[in-house]
Amino acid sequence: MNGFLRAAAVARKDLLMEWRGRQTITATGMVALLMILLLGFVLGSEPGRAAAVLWVALGFAAIVGIPRITQSEVEQQALETLLLYPGSREHLYWGKGAALLLMLSALLVALLLLLGVLFSVDVWTHGGALLGVGMLGIVGLSAIGTLLAALVLHVRGRELLMPLLLLPLALPVVLGCVRLTEAILAGTTSAPWLLVLVVFDLVYLLVCPILFEVVMDEA
Amino acid sequence: MRNDLDVAVDTPAVIARGLARRFRVEWAVRDVTFVLPPRSVLLLVGPNASGKTTLLRLLATALRPTDGCGSIFGCDLVRDADAVRRLTALVGTSAGAYDLLTARENLRFAAAMGARPDAPVAEWLDRVGLTAVADTPVRTLSNGMKRRLALARAWLSSPRLLLLDEPYSGLDSEGLTLVAEMASDTTRRGGSVIIATHEWERGMKVADAVLALAAGRPVEVGPAAQLTAADLAAAAGGKR
Repeated sequence: MNGFLRAAAVARKDLLMEWRGRQTITATGMVALLMILLLGFVLGSEPGRAAAVLWVALGFAAIVGIPRITQSEVEQQALETLLLYPGSREHLYWGKGAALLLMLSALLVALLLLLGVLFSVDVWTHGGALLGVGMLGIVGLSAIGTLLAALVLHVRGRELLMPLLLLPLALPVVLGCVRLTEAILAGTTSAPWLLVLVVFDLVYLLVCPILFEVVMDEA
Repeated sequence: MRNDLDVAVDTPAVIARGLARRFRVEWAVRDVTFVLPPRSVLLLVGPNASGKTTLLRLLATALRPTDGCGSIFGCDLVRDADAVRRLTALVGTSAGAYDLLTARENLRFAAAMGARPDAPVAEWLDRVGLTAVADTPVRTLSNGMKRRLALARAWLSSPRLLLLDEPYSGLDSEGLTLVAEMASDTTRRGGSVIIATHEWERGMKVADAVLALAAGRPVEVGPAAQLTAADLAAAAGGKR
């Protein structure tokens, strides 16, 4: 219970700061918007391309937004204070991960609406399924992203390192989401990709908190 | 015999045995050995880069010792790091507060993280004189007010070992009184305090013992009463 309260306090603090500063959501939103407009312009706005465009835009937005969830701690010289609170550092992982998940979820909803307009995709009919797959993808991105945000905390050139680490690790999640989104929009199903997505989510959720604790111990 | 902190009175607040920390090839702290009894205040003096802050961070478990060992009220600095964190509070040179949150929100967060969600935050804000600016974002507060907020955050956890790094800088006379009050409150409850400062004259008013560092090594350890002002001035300036 204490761990849950600590994680909730971290998530609340991160979301409150984001609400007041709007730094992460502005940066990720701008990148996602630009990616969608650019890809739509270059590839054409056929509905068949919507799934890939959505997840490429979300993936690049995540690359920009993920380092911010721990960077603010460093900028405000509050990291040491945070690490010196008693209790497991896993709680910090769950709190920061939850805040990231909520921010990316808000972005997902906005992008789905945008996709509906720009790519003439019927997001309302398939809304539940699209959101369900989207949430599975965002859980995976948040799980691995929170760990990587801690890993690149003190690295010079983290802007370069983040995509190099995130893209390969998030590839199964992004690929699964693209295939599943395509299947939903085409009115079919794709059980193998759903299994891939769920398995990777579970693996990340089991492994990343443990690694986060190790990484933060060395911070 | 036990006191109100449930710590055996004879358990030393700090035991350091050959404590050392190296950053790459540079030794920041080396061969630091001392025992600090409970209910006492240790003044840590030395010139810039003498290792005062590093030693405080070692005792707070913010850093792991490269060599040597130590314990806080019987809890090992490495093996029982979490227990040590429950016993200690470090007030560093920066406030470590979140600029976009208010003073009240910062303290509420600290209370939740320190497993004291029901802590009377308003009372603590009042105690450090921040009631009037309790709901103002920290970014608009002066440095002195931020320091007071950092003191309140540390005080809130009722630490057994209070580690203060340059606590007198940026504080007005009221703030300085707060630091003295905080130190005496901690020792009254059976805890101990370590104050690292350049302002040794001010620190000597509350200190029971002095540890002087130069280039990371202890050069003077002893009861405050036995040290002369000349000894301290020389030790604080690194001339020993």
